[in-house]
This record gives sequence, C-alpha cells and structure tokens, in this order.
Amino acid sequence: MQNIRMLQQQVNSLINQARHDIYSISATSDPTAKQVKLQRIWDALTSIQFLNDLLAAHAASSISAANDRQPLNTMPVGQPISPTSANPAVAVPNQTFTIQDLANYDGKNGRPAYVAVGGVVYDVTNNRAWAAATHFGLVSGRDYTQEFASCHAGQQSILATLPVVGRLV
Amino acid sequence: MENYILPPEPLTNEAIAARLTTGARNGLANGSVKKKNLVYLELNGCSGNIISLLNGANPDFEYMIGSMVNLVYSNSLMAAEGEKAIERLMNALDEDYILAVEGAVALRDKGLYNIIGTWKGKPLTGLEAAKMLGEKASHILAVGACATHGGVSAARPNPSQSVGLQDVLPDKNMIKLPGCPVHPDWFLGTLAHILLYGDPDTDNLGRPLMFYSTLIHDRCPRRPFFDRGIFAEKLGDKTCLFKLGCRGPVTRTDCPTRQWNGHVNWPIGDDTPCIGCAQFGFPDAMAPFISYDTTRVVKDE
Repeated sequence: MQNIRMLQQQVNSLINQARHDIYSISATSDPTAKQVKLQRIWDALTSIQFLNDLLAAHAASSISAANDRQPLNTMPVGQPISPTSANPAVAVPNQTFTIQDLANYDGKNGRPAYVAVGGVVYDVTNNRAWAAATHFGLVSGRDYTQEFASCHAGQQSILATLPVVGRLV
Repeated sequence: MENYILPPEPLTNEAIAARLTTGARNGLANGSVKKKNLVYLELNGCSGNIISLLNGANPDFEYMIGSMVNLVYSNSLMAAEGEKAIERLMNALDEDYILAVEGAVALRDKGLYNIIGTWKGKPLTGLEAAKMLGEKASHILAVGACATHGGVSAARPNPSQSVGLQDVLPDKNMIKLPGCPVHPDWFLGTLAHILLYGDPDTDNLGRPLMFYSTLIHDRCPRRPFFDRGIFAEKLGDKTCLFKLGCRGPVTRTDCPTRQWNGHVNWPIGDDTPCIGCAQFGFPDAMAPFISYDTTRVVKDE
C-alpha cells in the first residue's frame, strides 16, 4: 500500500509542477524558457501516463485478488486514483502538531520526516532534496519558516509540490 | 515538408571533434588563438585540485603546458623555489595572464595563517597574493570548493577564518569551478574555452553551464530505482542511494556521464552515495555523508 501512496504523491507533484509550468509560460516572454517548460510539461504528461497505468495495474491486481469471481465487471475505483484527492496542497488535513510532536518526525529509525513552514506541516520523507532526512545542514522535525524565507524567497511553488500532513499549533 | 534544412555538416562525434580540432589548429596558425600566461596560485587548501589536474586525459596536463598556456607559476609544479619562485610570480604581473586560484583565502591575523612564500625578506600571505594578482588578471578561475566558497578550509569551526576568493575580490568577475576536487575536464575545458572563444556561459553562481547545468539526479543511471521507491540499505547495494544520504539530487555536475579517473567510474557507479562535493556549502551543508538510521525501518539483525 505504501507503494500506491508513493505513486499517488508522484502523480500529484507532477500535476502541481505542470500547473506551475503553465503559469510561468503564460507569464514569460523568453522563448528559450518557454521551450524548456513545454518540454517539461510533455515529460510530466508522459510520466503521469506511465504512473496511471501502473496504478491501474495495482488496482486491477488487488481487486482480482480480493474478488476472483467478477474481475471484469468491477471498475478499479481504489482511493489512490480518485481524482478528487489530486491536489494535497488545497486541503490541509486536520491533524495538528505541536513543536514537540513535530520533533518526533525526525526521519530516524523508520519515522517519517516532517518539516513545518508558515504553520503548515509538510512530508519530506521521500523528497529528493531531503536525502537521509537532511537538507543543507537542516535536520527534519523542526519549523523552518525563517530558513525557507531566506533561501527560497518567492519560490512558493516548492511548497505547493510537497504533501501536506497537518498544521503546526 | 520539403523545407527541411539539413545540417550543413555531419554531426557524428568524430566529425564534431574533427571540426573543433581543425578550428583550434587554424586559430593557432593564423594567430587568432594565442598561448596565454597562466598563474596557478595555491592558497589555503590541500593541493587536491592540482593533483586532480595531473590526472587529466584528452587533453592532459602535458598538452596544457605544451600547447595551451605558459604556466608561469605553480608552487607545486615549478622547478624554481624560494624567493626565485616568488620573483617569477611578481614578474608575471607585468604581462597579461589568466589567474587560477585553488584553496581558500585565510583572513585571520591579516592572512598570516596562510603564507605562500617570502618576498624581499617578508612573508607573502595568500591574502596579499590573491588581491594583488586578482586585480590585474584578465580572467580569474576559482578552482575547487575552497576557492569558490571556502569549502573544507572554511568548514566549522574555521580556525583560519577562511573565505572564498570572491570575498576578497568582490568587484571582479570570476568563473567558479566548485568540486572537491575539480574534475580535470572542468578546469581544462573552461581554460580551453577562454583561449578559443572567451568566457563560457555561466549560471547565476558563476559556474560554466557546459559542465554544471545538469542535476546529477536527472542523469543518474539509478534514477529508475528512486522513481519506484527502491532504496539501498547499505554501501555496496546496487539500487538508489537516496536513503543513505545521497546528495545527487541537490548537486549540479556532469559526473554521471563524464565520470572520473580517465572517465571510467564515479562514486555512485561504485555503490557509494554522492557527497555533494561540487555544491556550494560543502562540506558542512552536505553533511552527514552517510546515514543508516533513516526513514526506513531498521530491522534488528
């Protein structure tokens, strides 16, 4: 099941990336930058198609395993591919974290890696810039509102691609 | 459909290489490409970049000093020593030269933590030499992690108060070649580009795009493992090293395709994570280099 969740996160971040690319294409007049973004959207769509097939295969195999009798009549409607949950950045889950709670999600001994920015808690467990739950000398499980502002000013799109897990209280 | 413009020249590797070498030879013959003077200054560092340079292939170091530049000063490689060597350094100031600097600039106690020689009986600090030669150089290359941003010399607690070269030459344009060490191709390729075509295109951090434009992660042969969530548990595993702390996803170099030691292998090809040695802030910002206690559940063995 964890694989399905990861695939879903990948699809979601690709969709978010494509949205931001479309926005930046509409804002830029630089033809080279446009070309690069268009190529990236094309690549993203290719990846989404591939991941979609993969998810469908997952769903089909789990349904046929659970229900041998009518595998052909059942549509694969597993939650991971529900289109309504496509954008994790829109709805903030109700889970709340204190700064002490957050410190438990330090990415050690199998625990996930969470960080907070601007009162929102994000999951960076499988984020590529957070190898071994560390990022440029920062360890996970803390609030990095200040650090984000100083290093990634004007790059809110970074946050939009991260899965949200809750709120910092 | 009939308006296709076919390339006027063949685009095979051999044809491109032949065009480039012919162009360079013609440039040398008609005098538009000149052998320039190169001053290679070593400051507060470990000489790792010059050792890496000696490992270069196609072109190699011999070709560099024979056909590309006059190496007028290099404290590791020149025959002269003592004041005679420093005299050559001082004489270089009278002519046009390209300056390559390896190692950080130590600021503490007016630079006395890094003395590169004596001149007229007085110690010559790296700080003085960097400022003096940097002001008059036609091109400046900051070579290696220490010269570009302080690197290992400036790592905590930085007892010598080392900084990158740009900090002591804030108004000068310089090409930055981060890496610990720099790949010989990155240095020789940039040098060749300066001689043949002028300054190469750089990104906003001053790194030549021809070597530093691609994220290691995006060309990593193990990328499919990352995308499927298949991660190595220990050094030596053949899958994605992300959970062990691989810095490939934050480091921009062409290591996956260029490779090292005569283009034969590179860290990830030898089952050890990228430590981000070509990223600004290395080594402190890239630590820890390896982690076993991570987001993966550790089973008791």
